[in-house]
Amino acid sequence: MDKLNIGRHISGQFNEDLERIINHVMHMGGLVEKQLTDALTSVCDADEALAKKVLSNDYLINNAEVTIDDECTRIIAKRQPAAGDLRLVMAIVKTITDLERIGDEAGKIANVTLESLSGKHKDLLSNLDNLGRHVLTFLQATLDAFTRMDVEAAIQVHKSDDKIDREYEALIRQLMTYMMEDPRSIPQVMSVIWSARALERIGDRCQNICEYIIYFVKGKSVRHTTPEDFDSLS
Amino acid sequence: MNNWFKSGSPWVWLSAGGVSISLISVIGLLGLIAWRGLSYFWPADIYQFEMTDEQGKHLTVIGEVYEKESIPASQLVHLNLDIDSSVETIERLLIKTGNRELVSLDFRWILVPQINNSSLPAELVVIERRTNGNFYGYIEDVILDGQVVEQNQMLQLVERVSDFQAEMEELQKSDIGAINYQIERTRLKERKHILDDTLTTQLQQEFKDKVAGLKADYKVLEKQLMALREKISRDQLVVRAMDGQKVTINFADVLQVTFNNKLNVFEKLKMFFSQIGAFVSKDPREANTEGGVFPAIFGTVLMVLLMTVIVSPLGVVAAIYLHEYAGNNALTKLLRIAVINLAGVPSIVYGVFGLGFFVYMVGGSLDQLFYAETLPSPTFGTPGVMWSALTLAILTLPVVIVSTEEGLSRIPSAMRHGSLALGATKAETLWRIILPIASPAIMTGIILAIARAAGEVAPLMLVGVVKMAPNLPIDGNFPFLHLDRKFMHLGFHIYDVGFQSPNVEAARPLVYATALLLVSIIVALNITAVSIRNRLREKYRMLEH
Amino acid sequence: MISVTPKNLSAHNVKLDLNNLSPEQVALEIKHLDLYYGNKQALQNISMSIPKGQVTAFIGPSGCGKSTLLRCINRMNDLVDICKITGEINLNGENIYDRHTDVAALRRKVGMVFQRPNPFPKSIYENVVYGLRITGVNNRRVLDEAVETALRSAALWNEVKDRLHESALGLSGGQQQRLVIARAIAIEPEVLLLDEPTSALDPISTLTIEELINDLKKQFTVVIVTHNMQQAARVSDQTAFMYMGDLIEYSDTNTLFTTPAKKKTEDYITGRYG
Repeated sequence: MDKLNIGRHISGQFNEDLERIINHVMHMGGLVEKQLTDALTSVCDADEALAKKVLSNDYLINNAEVTIDDECTRIIAKRQPAAGDLRLVMAIVKTITDLERIGDEAGKIANVTLESLSGKHKDLLSNLDNLGRHVLTFLQATLDAFTRMDVEAAIQVHKSDDKIDREYEALIRQLMTYMMEDPRSIPQVMSVIWSARALERIGDRCQNICEYIIYFVKGKSVRHTTPEDFDSLS
Repeated sequence: MNNWFKSGSPWVWLSAGGVSISLISVIGLLGLIAWRGLSYFWPADIYQFEMTDEQGKHLTVIGEVYEKESIPASQLVHLNLDIDSSVETIERLLIKTGNRELVSLDFRWILVPQINNSSLPAELVVIERRTNGNFYGYIEDVILDGQVVEQNQMLQLVERVSDFQAEMEELQKSDIGAINYQIERTRLKERKHILDDTLTTQLQQEFKDKVAGLKADYKVLEKQLMALREKISRDQLVVRAMDGQKVTINFADVLQVTFNNKLNVFEKLKMFFSQIGAFVSKDPREANTEGGVFPAIFGTVLMVLLMTVIVSPLGVVAAIYLHEYAGNNALTKLLRIAVINLAGVPSIVYGVFGLGFFVYMVGGSLDQLFYAETLPSPTFGTPGVMWSALTLAILTLPVVIVSTEEGLSRIPSAMRHGSLALGATKAETLWRIILPIASPAIMTGIILAIARAAGEVAPLMLVGVVKMAPNLPIDGNFPFLHLDRKFMHLGFHIYDVGFQSPNVEAARPLVYATALLLVSIIVALNITAVSIRNRLREKYRMLEH
Repeated sequence: MISVTPKNLSAHNVKLDLNNLSPEQVALEIKHLDLYYGNKQALQNISMSIPKGQVTAFIGPSGCGKSTLLRCINRMNDLVDICKITGEINLNGENIYDRHTDVAALRRKVGMVFQRPNPFPKSIYENVVYGLRITGVNNRRVLDEAVETALRSAALWNEVKDRLHESALGLSGGQQQRLVIARAIAIEPEVLLLDEPTSALDPISTLTIEELINDLKKQFTVVIVTHNMQQAARVSDQTAFMYMGDLIEYSDTNTLFTTPAKKKTEDYITGRYG
């Protein structure tokens, strides 16, 4: 929280407002993390009840997004934040959009659980589980970097998205061979591919959040830039 | 009680009380002056008292009742009055009996117990005369051109004669006066040439011819005048005084004949106003104890206006220098203190200064330089209206400086900066912005200066005021405004009439009337200045946030 | 410094390199300016270039010297006896603190509008033509034309055209301030200095003036001092942040209000303890 420097405003009310929003974002991050964990568990354990719970809990994330959105709008209207404050609010507004999307992706994964998969595809799911675990770690690292507004961590996380991408590509290739071997399994494999796709998207979303962290701290937009530009940041 | 004190109302009452006292005293003062002064013009009743004096002699007293007072009876014991010893006070009346040619004093005291009978005979007449004051008595005969005529022709006669008189005055004052002035000028011109050693025989002849021409004109006019005088001297009025003596009065001497006891209220009112009119428009007579005060009014106003013309630019320029240009240092502070202290110097000191510096030094030098031909009789080297105006200008200078400076310092610096930021120089800013905005304050200073100057008498006695000025400072002879002339002043007139005249008793109402006039003139001057100031204030009103 | 390829900069706002302006882009160049009030130093070594045809804002806490710096530009500080200035301010390549400078002529080139509206107690018309009359213009037609042009430029013409000869003091505060601006631009200065022009006005009048400032920069170089940071952000192209007599940061407004380079600037514009 020290890094955020929000405790030193002359207006105490402004400090409180900003702190509350950040807490809400962290709470939302926690919710998203839990949804993703539950979704992955439900896939692995073929736990339909858990999957249903994940789907029904999605509204919590949506609510959190709307609440935080409102609060940010209020702060912009009333406080006209500038410089760091402005970047923080902007970063938060964008972060929660991505978090909400991650929540949606978790829902998609949970949907896979509900589609009955025959035992022969269980090993497909274990591959998915592996990717899922990586993505989960990735999400946790991102939220951690966000909490501490740690540029170094954010850059690290941002870079490690490549690994997930490679893993995803490997998984897709594997699933494609399945489909070629046994065309009848295509519908089942397709749903696994959708899940893998969802996980990969989560990775991208996390990468976005990392970019927002860098934007907030450094004041530079690193979206759509080459990785070499990152090196000049630190 | 304690609460009442805390509420602050005692202070409100206290301050309101202070205001009331001031107001009452001002109104009382003005009321007293107005009452005493105006009653002088009201046509009084003329009483005829039949009385027996202490020697048992019977006598008749005719006149206006001026005053009534009570005196202790013990004071009159020596008169052996036939009065009850138990009476402690006796009333006596001051009667204006007029008829100065018959008695030495035109006032006398009579004791009320000695009066047997008093009446207001309608036939009693007051004759206002050019000399010897009023005459009270009965008309016996009216003589026109040596012939006794009907008495009812008398009023027309008075009018006819006063027309002649006006004509004569006109002749004497403007025509003959102008000729005299010309002759004097010609003489001075000649003398100047003699002094400069440029007098040629030709010039000498010219001057001689001119004087001869003027003298011929003078002769003609003089003849006219004599003819008129001859004409009116044949009209006479025979009147009977209170002691039965018959007196013949020339109509030439008569200003007005009135039957005061016959007048009703409206006629009295009419007469009251015509008397006031005469008072402010006529010249004084009889060592200022009779007649009007016009020259004094004229002199006062002219002197004050001259003073204003001198002091305003001087004071404003000095204030501008002190406030705008002089550095904010010890010298400036010293100057400012000196200016303020100048306001506290007694006015007579200014008079002495004016006499010594202006009259003798400056005036003397001017005479040497420009009016050498008239020497040794001085032109400017003697008290005169210009020196009076200058002396009073110096006297009132601090007032103008202080209030102008006050006005200048009240102008927000935003005004100056606004003008300077538009590329105006300091002088342009002063002229176009600062002075117009400060003009109400300058006017305030001028108002105060006028108020002070119009009431000032002491220094004027040294530098220009006289008891009786033969000519007004403005007339029809070139250069029309004669700054070297002496003048009359209402304030001095009051002093002169009230304390220097042969008959102080008679003059007292005149003193009040003159005082009232002086106050009215000052008020009029002030109202004019205040209304100008208020218009300026409205025009340059600053928007107050 | 980070150099990011400016792909994402919007086209209408061409960013100037304030440290490296070409001579024709510069309206005013301040060089090593020091200013003392008696023994107290009020400005320390100020150097900056103010670009032509743009709005430059000075911001900073009270007493930071921003108004003092502004007043240096048209030498209003000359009116303060104890004020001593070293360094240069160049206008069109000439140092205005040169001994031979005609101050009145300088002030005609560098107009100024003050914190409180200060119309003269004259008619609206006379207020506007004041500067022209000073320069000796008395031709009625020329003056009429100048009045209309100036009042139109100051967005006041439509409100006052029917009462040009009424007292200027009858106008509202916002109208008075626009009148004062009209008065300043009637003499066609090159630079217009605005010293907290809206601090005495209500928000709507403030917006009118801000809109006006935006129009004015087409004709004049505008320098504005303001307490109101949002105002500086809204109206200016460049912003200079000053603190205790020092120029802390001077950059284009967009940068300064989103990503200031100095911590002091950041603390000030985000409302933190300094």
